[in-house]
Order: sequence, then C-alpha cells, then structure tokens
Amino acid sequence: MSVSVKEFNVIVSGVGGQGILFTTNVIARAALKLGLNFAQSEVHGLSQRYGSIRTELRIGKDVSSPLILEGTLDLLISLEPLEGLRQAPYISERTTVVMNDHIIPPVGAYLERFPIPSFEEVLDLMKSLNPKSIITLSAYDLAEKAGDYIAANTVMLGAAEASRALPFPEGVLREALVEVSPARYRDLNLKAFDLGREAVSLPR
Amino acid sequence: MGDLLAPANTFEVLLGNEAIARGALEAGLNVAAAYPGTPSTEIGESLSKIAKKLGIYFEWSANEKVATEVAMGAAWSGLRSLTMMKHVGFNVATDAIFTLSYAGVAGAMVIVSADDPHAHSSQNEQDNRYYSEAVGLPMLEPSNPQEAKDLTKEAFDISDKFKIPVLIRTTTRISHQRAPVKLGEITAGPGKGKFAPKEPDRYLQVGAIARKHHGELLRKLKEIQMDVSPRFYRIEGSTSSDFGILTSGVAYSHAKEAVKLVNLDAKILKLTMTYPLPEKVIGDFLSSVKTVLVVEELDPYLELRAKAIAKDYAPDVEILGKLTGHMPRVGEYTMRTVLEGLSKATGIALPIDFAKIDERSSKILSKVPPRPPVLCPACPHRSAGYALRRAAGRASFMGDIGCYALLFQKPFRVEQVSHAMGSSIGIGNGISLATGGDVVALIGDSTFFHAGIPALINAVHNKRKMVVMIMDNRITAMTGHQPHPGSDFDAMGERAPAIDIEDVVRAIGVDYVKVIDPYNHAEMEKTIREALKRDGVSVIISRRECALLTVGKLRREGRMGKPYVVDPEKCTYCRVCINTFACPAFVDTGSIVEIDPTVCFGCGACTQVCPYDAIVPQEGSLNWREQKIGV
Repeated sequence: MSVSVKEFNVIVSGVGGQGILFTTNVIARAALKLGLNFAQSEVHGLSQRYGSIRTELRIGKDVSSPLILEGTLDLLISLEPLEGLRQAPYISERTTVVMNDHIIPPVGAYLERFPIPSFEEVLDLMKSLNPKSIITLSAYDLAEKAGDYIAANTVMLGAAEASRALPFPEGVLREALVEVSPARYRDLNLKAFDLGREAVSLPR
Repeated sequence: MGDLLAPANTFEVLLGNEAIARGALEAGLNVAAAYPGTPSTEIGESLSKIAKKLGIYFEWSANEKVATEVAMGAAWSGLRSLTMMKHVGFNVATDAIFTLSYAGVAGAMVIVSADDPHAHSSQNEQDNRYYSEAVGLPMLEPSNPQEAKDLTKEAFDISDKFKIPVLIRTTTRISHQRAPVKLGEITAGPGKGKFAPKEPDRYLQVGAIARKHHGELLRKLKEIQMDVSPRFYRIEGSTSSDFGILTSGVAYSHAKEAVKLVNLDAKILKLTMTYPLPEKVIGDFLSSVKTVLVVEELDPYLELRAKAIAKDYAPDVEILGKLTGHMPRVGEYTMRTVLEGLSKATGIALPIDFAKIDERSSKILSKVPPRPPVLCPACPHRSAGYALRRAAGRASFMGDIGCYALLFQKPFRVEQVSHAMGSSIGIGNGISLATGGDVVALIGDSTFFHAGIPALINAVHNKRKMVVMIMDNRITAMTGHQPHPGSDFDAMGERAPAIDIEDVVRAIGVDYVKVIDPYNHAEMEKTIREALKRDGVSVIISRRECALLTVGKLRREGRMGKPYVVDPEKCTYCRVCINTFACPAFVDTGSIVEIDPTVCFGCGACTQVCPYDAIVPQEGSLNWREQKIGV
C-alpha cells in the first residue's frame, strides 16, 4: 500500500480518563503501517487527572514540529463536546469534526457558577467556526451496546474512519486497532469500532 | 506502549522517553536507577518492564540523589549505568553530580534531565542547560525521538571514551512525543562490576585532590569541545542567505517547519551538543550572516553565548532573541511562536491571520467552562480533604508534590503552599515556629520517603507543634503508579521488604500516630480534631490505595460495581454534595443532582456527605469502605 501525505493534522480531545491516548495511538499505528512519517504530542502526569486533555498527531512527509499550528486542523475527534469546542483556535474550513454528544460538566464550573452550555449550544458554536463537516454521535450508548461504556473511544474511531477524513485506505485503521488493543479488550473494541462506523455510514 | 525490544532495522513507534531507554539498551546498559517525575518517568517505566528479560537491573530509588549515587556506584565499578529525572529532580541530585564530574567514571554513565517548559506538570520552568556548564558535564539535546535514541547511544560512547558522565537534556515535547524510530541492535545485559580504582585517590574529593581533579576535568572538557562538539551540529536551509537561525532541541523542529511554511531564505544552525559549544562552528556561522535569530525555549542560554563568541568572530553580526524582545522567555514554543519571531525579525507576513483566529476563538472559549485537573472519582484524597476542611478549617495548610496538591482547589482549600518535594513539613517547621498557630502539613507516601523524613526529624527534635497527614495511597500515583520503599514489590516486579511508615514515624519519636481509612469521614474528622489539640508533632496516616489501582483490579477481576444513583424523591437540591465534596461524577441538572454513570467508579464514599441520604447504591453496587476494598 503506497500512500503519500504532505501534512494531515489530528487532535483527539476529551476529559482525562476517556482513553484519548489510546485512540491517538491507534491512528499513529495505522500511519506506521503505511510507512508515513508522523509526530504525536501527548499528555502525561498530573495534567491528565480528569482535566482537559488533547493529543496532537501530525502525519506527513513535511512534518517536523510535534505541535499543530492554529487554524490547520484536519480532523478533530472529541470524546466530549466542551473539550471539542475548546479546540476552537485550531478549527477552520479544513476541519472534519467527529464529536461525542455526552457532556461531562466540569465540577469546578458549578463552584464558580460558570454556565455550562447545552449540547445544542455547543453545536451552534461549533458551526460558527465553519468546519468542513460535523458528525455527532452517542458514543456511550453505542459502546454500551458493544458491551461496555469504556469503549466509547473506539466507537469514535470507527466514526472517524467512516467520515473518510483520514488519509488512509479503508481497513488500515481497524487492523491497527487489532494490533494496539490489549487481548482482553480486542473483541469489545472491534465491536465498538464497527458500531461507530455503521452509525456514521448508514443513512440516518 | 511501544515495543522496547522490537528487532533491529525495523521502525517502532516510540515515545521520546522510550527511545532514550532503547538507546541505552543499544549502548549496552547494565544498571539504571531513577525516581519518577514528569516528563521523565516513562524512561524508567519502559526499562522496568523489560529489565528482567534482558538481565539488566532497574530500580525506582528513594529520590534522585540516591538514584544518581546508585548509578555512580555501578559506573565506578566499571558498568554502564543510566539515571534520569525531571528538571527539579536534578536539583536534588546536584550535590552528588557537582563532584561526580571531578571523579569521572570507570565504566560509562548517562544522566537524563527532562525539562518542562510551560510547567505542564511542574512547579517551575527552570532551564537545566545551565547545569551542564555549572557541573562541568557535556550535554546533548535531541530534537525528536529518533535523535533521542541515537544520542543516548552516542552519549554512552562519549562517556566511555572520556570517562566522564554525559548529560542528555530533553523537554516535555521531546520526552512525550511519539514517532517512528529506526532501531539498532540491543547489546544490554547483566554486568558484574569490580570496584578497583585505578588511582587510590580517584574517588576521594578533598582539598588538593579535588583541585587536581578540577584541572583534569577542565582539560577533558576542552578536548571534548575541540574534538567532539563539532561533530554534533547541522547547517540547513539556504547556505547563501545572510539571515541565520541558531537553534536546538524541539525549538529546531518548530523552526525548520516554520521557515518552510513562509519560504524564508534562511540558514539554520542546529546545535546538538549544547555544552561544551563548538565555538568555531558558531563563530563561522555568525560571521557568514548579517542577522541571527536565536530560537530556544526558556532562558537566553545560546543567545548569551553566541554574543560572547561573536565578540571574537563577528562583532558586527546582529543577534536577535529574548534579550531584544523578539522571542518570549516564558512558556513553551510552537510553530506560531517561531513565525511571530521571524515576522518581527525580518518583516515577513504571517501565513495565518493569528489575530483573527484569536479574536474568533476567544469569543467561543469565553463560553467554555475551564476544566483544570481535579482529583479522580473515588480518590481517597478527596475524603481526606473533606474531613480537613471540616475539622481543621482555621489551620495553616502546607501542601506538597503529588495529586493531593489539587486540594488547593475549591471546595477544599486545604493547601496554601505547594513548593518542592518534602517542603510541606520543612516549611511547616518555620511557620509553626514563627506563628505558634495550628499547622497542618500534607505529604504523600512516596514524597515522605523522598524528602519528608529529615523534615519530620527536625520538627520532633526542635519541639514544633504540627499535625502531619501522610496521604498514603500505597504507590507513587501522580506519575503513573510506581512502587516506592513502602511497597512490597520493586521495579523489577520482585517481592521486596516494605518500609512501614508507621514504624518510621514512631522511631523518629512521634508518639501520636493514627492510621485511618479516609473513607471513614467521621473517624477522620474526630482524629484531626484530637491531633490539633495536642502539643508536639502528631501524625495521621490517611491510608487507602489510589482509586485508579482499585478500579484497575476490580476491572481485571470482572467485579467492578455499578455506579451510585441519586434518589430523586430524597434529593432536595441542596447541592451540599457539590459544594463540599465536588466529585467530578456529580451533575447539576438545575433541579436535582445526578451522578454521571460514565464517570462514577461506584466507591460509595459520597453517601456520607448527603444530609438526606439521597445517594444510594443500585443493585450490583459495591461499598468500598464497608467491604474493605482498597484498604
């Protein structure tokens, strides 16, 4: 399989604990399988404790910086809507947005009396950034259907593949998922991935 | 994540830190020792997983100084050793390292300093490049994971040749960058050392001997500067341009792409050995251009040295950087930082309208509630913080380095100080002395072993009045669950004698020592009140394992309990749960509080907080306190 990519920028965002790093690792593994150059920046340590998390993955032969430049995001996978919106500086006309619809309210917002937007409000604000497309899905419901809500991240991966935004031939992401999944979660992950893919591919 | 033992000549996806570990394996590593600290931790984590298989030795040491000394002892016995630490960990180790450069090594030794520009997971943004010059050890700076691996191997070779330890300096975006890395042959294995100093005074640094070794060190460094440093640089870009960029590390990776993005005619000097600097290489570069922009994160380390070199080589060259206001000194760099610097320096137009992006996104971001890190659901520290708030509200609260530092946040606010490892008890000594008021010092189990014990000894001996709460979650949690001297297993996965915190505290002379499960809120509050009434030093050990460990075990065993729920009949929407306990699983619907089942771990601790008993288990829920899960 020969694929040439000049520059393709991905952000996976969400709340610490949602499996953001795993999600990004699967995409990176797919890029490795295709022999593509990439650089991925991730978050470890205290900053990942239930706070805002973003991993950045830059794929392509021209890439040397591990951090994405504002306005140049190609694919946003957000496991949580508020965290999707938080990527506003990176989103532009070239961005495909794949977003879970389940809001996890930051508990600090209640203590500071900071209003928490509804999913509809998040969607409107997201639309105002004019991304190429916005795909939303109920990843937790689909993950439950696959067997465990913890697989919501792989549901999102399936949806991302179905969005056709990634510069990979079909099937590579799923193979990468098989390789990266721990044995005891492999079946669950594949089921979740397929449900996410179908949710986006099927006419709704 | 990456396979550290993947075969040679293949590409493997490695984190920068894993690449360093692999580089050490390719260099024939025998012994490694470290104390965990972001962003350095995964070097040790990855070695810990494969050490047994390769027959090498790895330990999580009590602190960075001890880790350095373990590696020194091995290198003095002729082995190849490695130690690694976060930038502030280096401060702890420097007492040993300043003199280590005089002593040198018999085998080979590499020391990794992982700096944290932006203070993502740290208390400061210190720039450890200065240390290389101060301690007198050569320093290599990788700009991506591939270089991280290759340079680690080179570092061992340089160390072996000159019999001097070599420093590798990374930053967060190198250590935590994952990329394909082409691998070489692993040569690491067990090594049997022999401590046989070639000269009888080799490791005796006193007076005249130290002066002799100081001179010897300076001669070694001169030789490295002349023969080795000029091998570690690259000139790229337009060789005929009269605009130059002087850079290193991850800043180089940003600069390289930024220059391409705006088609700037520029000549880049990328330095890889940043101490000792290749003076002639830099001098020739400076004299070949009219203007140079220095692109480096944090302090103007290269900039100042370039100015000094320019005095002899190119007095007329214009050197731009932090001192001229072209580049920032605070925070980490991105391509944008470099583009803005280039724009200021050359007048080129920015390829992206950043001002417009900022304006548009700031409107949106003003509507997105901030989400700083918080204590996890089921975290035992939340319960301890809740009890402290209620029972010790007026005390002066000293915090320390660990997840419990998050207790500075609302609604707990039981940390007014967060400084350095072990400082809670140390500074508590001084505040107790100065004020005579109630002082509560919080310190984690791993931090207690690292630097808390001398401060506690000090408090007892000097008759201070203080309550010390040891937040014993049975592991070094914040960095991802490494064992510490209180654990009954070690970094090789072997059983190990666990040092009992209670025994240590009693042996120091503290006669009031209570071990409490923090999930027992009433008992914890009662104990805090009692301890505050006492004179002298009282110690409360808040003991319950990190909730993430408990959840991991429950999931592996297939007995994870169901989340708790709120009985809508009983909930009066008083919001006491949110306002005093603030678990991230609480959801305020506007008329009731609910529990988000995707966030709740089902510990049941919050049931004690609701005045109306509205938080209830479902069928299949566990109660960690009553069922003694996690204690």
